[in-house]
Amino acid sequence: MIGNLILSLALAFSIFSMIMYVFTFRGARNTLGIARLSYHAMTMLVITASVYLSFNIITHNYEFDYIYNYSNDQLSLGMLLSTFWAGQEGSFLLWVLFAALIGVFLQSYTSKREDLEPTVMFSYTAVVSFLLLMVSPLLKTPFAYLWANEIYIEAAKINQQFLSLSILQPFLMSDGQSGQFYVKVNKELYSLLAGQGIEFNTFIIQGKGLNPLLQNFWMQIHPPILFAGFALATVPYAFAISALMKNYYKDWVKQSFPWSLGAGGVLGLGIMLGGYWAYGVLGWGGYWAWDPVENSSLIPWIILVAVIHTMIVQRKEQKQGKEIGRFAKTNLILSITAFVLVIYSTFLTRSGILGDSSVHSFVDPGSLVYLFLVIFLLTFLIAGVGLVIYRWKNLSDEHNANENIWSRELSLFNAALILLASAIIVFFGTSAPIFGVTVEISFYDEMHIPLAIVMLILNALSLVLKWKETEGKEIFKGLRLSLVLTLVFAILFIFVAGVKDFMMILLGVSAAFAFFINVEICIKVVAKNFKKIGSYLSHIGIAIFVLGVIGSGAYSKHADVDLVKGEKQNVLVYDMVFTGYEPFENNTKYRFNVVVTDGSDKKVVSPVMYISDFNQSMMREPDIVEGFTNDIYISPVGYEDNEGSSSGQEIIKINPGEEKVAGEKIIVRYVDFIKPDMTVMAQGGDFEMGANVIVQYEDKIEEIRLVSRKSGEGLTNIPVEIKALGAVLTLNHIDPMTKAAEIIFQKQAEQPQGQNVKKEVLSIQASIKPFVSLVWIGVFFTVLGFIIAMIKRSKEE
Amino acid sequence: MKNKYIFGGIIVAVFLTLMIYLFTQTNVQYESDFTKVMEKGRTVKATGSWVKEKNYEIDKVNKTFSFFMRDEKGNEMKVVCPGTIPNNFESATSVVVTGEYTNGYFAAKDILTKCPSKYESPNKSS
Repeated sequence: MIGNLILSLALAFSIFSMIMYVFTFRGARNTLGIARLSYHAMTMLVITASVYLSFNIITHNYEFDYIYNYSNDQLSLGMLLSTFWAGQEGSFLLWVLFAALIGVFLQSYTSKREDLEPTVMFSYTAVVSFLLLMVSPLLKTPFAYLWANEIYIEAAKINQQFLSLSILQPFLMSDGQSGQFYVKVNKELYSLLAGQGIEFNTFIIQGKGLNPLLQNFWMQIHPPILFAGFALATVPYAFAISALMKNYYKDWVKQSFPWSLGAGGVLGLGIMLGGYWAYGVLGWGGYWAWDPVENSSLIPWIILVAVIHTMIVQRKEQKQGKEIGRFAKTNLILSITAFVLVIYSTFLTRSGILGDSSVHSFVDPGSLVYLFLVIFLLTFLIAGVGLVIYRWKNLSDEHNANENIWSRELSLFNAALILLASAIIVFFGTSAPIFGVTVEISFYDEMHIPLAIVMLILNALSLVLKWKETEGKEIFKGLRLSLVLTLVFAILFIFVAGVKDFMMILLGVSAAFAFFINVEICIKVVAKNFKKIGSYLSHIGIAIFVLGVIGSGAYSKHADVDLVKGEKQNVLVYDMVFTGYEPFENNTKYRFNVVVTDGSDKKVVSPVMYISDFNQSMMREPDIVEGFTNDIYISPVGYEDNEGSSSGQEIIKINPGEEKVAGEKIIVRYVDFIKPDMTVMAQGGDFEMGANVIVQYEDKIEEIRLVSRKSGEGLTNIPVEIKALGAVLTLNHIDPMTKAAEIIFQKQAEQPQGQNVKKEVLSIQASIKPFVSLVWIGVFFTVLGFIIAMIKRSKEE
Repeated sequence: MKNKYIFGGIIVAVFLTLMIYLFTQTNVQYESDFTKVMEKGRTVKATGSWVKEKNYEIDKVNKTFSFFMRDEKGNEMKVVCPGTIPNNFESATSVVVTGEYTNGYFAAKDILTKCPSKYESPNKSS
């Protein structure tokens, strides 16, 4: 209730602020203050809603559908906080939060610049209002109650002391197939419980938990940065709309420029952090898979980078006294497109339209959300494009058309053009699933190799070009040193590194060319003015990145091997020995240690395998030895000892009076149910319930009590060891209604005896990925360049 | 001036032709009817579900694993995949395999598993 109220109020304030900004733009005198106040009220409300959600997550308030679905009591605090954005609803709220906060800075920035504020903040609040509508109670609020729609919840997630309540009986169901018990949760049950004075969040005491793939550090950092990038991409859009509304194009480029750089830097960082996550933890084997989710956030980034290039030209011409300057239309259209593509990306990944074509699993959010996203997309697309068309004739100066091919203007435009081509390719391939087809990864790769070559050469050449025009002699003079260095590189690349593929040679050599010339010019320029280092750093970064992509993409080596414990085996160029496994995290996960020997250098690589409770599946995590020239990447495939595939643990589902066979020859008989003391139970005191069981093995018979003991807050299942069998039995779950029990039967690991030594085999996929390090170094330089350029440009005007 | 547009136009045309050509070369269609998958003899993305009763087999020598897939109409086919069983395989509601049907089985290059929707309630009988 409170959460939805806060979000609805925030939406109201956002819309009100937007309207007040329109009035201000139309000339009303006393509305600006109200607009600002409303904006800040909205921001405070959004912050409050976010804090409220976080608070409920930390206090395990599972009465919220969202919290029940994505978290549980076992998560650590850091992981718990990141369940904030584990699902659609919360990640939208995170986006709203960033948008609202960035808007505070934007408001302060624009308020200091003549009449900029009303128009910029009008379009900005329009975006924020749409985002708030998305998390409103009408669509995907994170504050929906669990019982609002009818769902079935495993009985194990219910506080056991309520299971015997008479009002609950009609809601208990069992699934014929799995034998699991469920409670039907709906509004009726909620009001019945409320009638008994039982609070719903004491009734449901456990959540579903977080997908184990998301349970790592990168989950805590990648989504927030990506959404901050999404939120920042709104700003160039708002500036473009503002300029079109005012029909005044003199200042918007310089004002929007630092924001565009900031958005490019943050979004780029967010995207590549996702790449590192996929590489290092998720075991995709690489950092980029051209997956729709990755692609859809890459497209707006490419457009942002393109517009940064053409903005430089317009800015330069305005500095030289032109009123509008060249590429005004291009800049406006691209700034608008970048943001519209952010919405498009949201549409692709959130509407369920990509259902079958991505490794990311999508929840189909229903047709209402689908429709809303289409309207969201079309509104901002039509508003932007419509305004550009409306102002079309006002958008160019009469310009002198004596263009020179050897000018920096043209090469900057060409840079934007190539980036645009790249964006179109990715857009085309990513959108194909809408029409029921997909493209193979080779589509993206083969289109991008020639584009990257042209891009790198162009970047290198553009650095020696001057504004307006350049003489041929000068070009050659500027290139001399780098050409010599590139030649040396080419010889090493072909003859020492042994690269034979023609396109790869071209790509590598052009990357080296761009690298050398950027470094050379950078040193010259930075000696005079340190602040200009930004763009050179970014381009150096891109050149390094491409070299890393060549190494890791085209020259990875791969082998599937079975490692027998203790036996040395030569894999690729290393000696590998499997030395055994060790459990960690309370014996829930297993590290499989492999000693990798490279000459005299020994390293332990420990890929991880475990069975996840979340989805009852085997999860595998790779481990990597990261080095400058090579990454050794080992992902686990399977583990077997020669006693068969049994892990020694078995779950027996049994009803009173029944007999089941465990292990090979062990008979388990369920004698009778141990009833809990109902009066103590009703008073919330400590009690025990369970099963009396007889275990029989050959001629040995033993009678045991398997119980769940409730003391204080928790319910503990007491394990019972049967020494004669070397086995441990534990009650996993018992249903007080049907008395059906689940017993965990665990055979203790036998020590190898005498000659009967176990042969333990670990199967792995090993690969060597040359120069992956350059990918990360390249990204680091590129992002650093963006940030430095942003700081410089924001101080410029 | 005019030359500029002609030149630019040619570049755009070449780019688009190249892209569309490559697109037609690399595009893969979805197919949920296995009788068509078996007829076609070209690379498709076959969608269906894993036949759990028939379990899966791991071939340690060839480093592949195989299982049976069923389409909506109940047609079944054997699928052989390289590498290892993907995370989530056991709990997947549907499976998408990319590859070609040859020699009586579907030789997959790639496998994708979809997990149950978070909001799906299990089918109950009380």
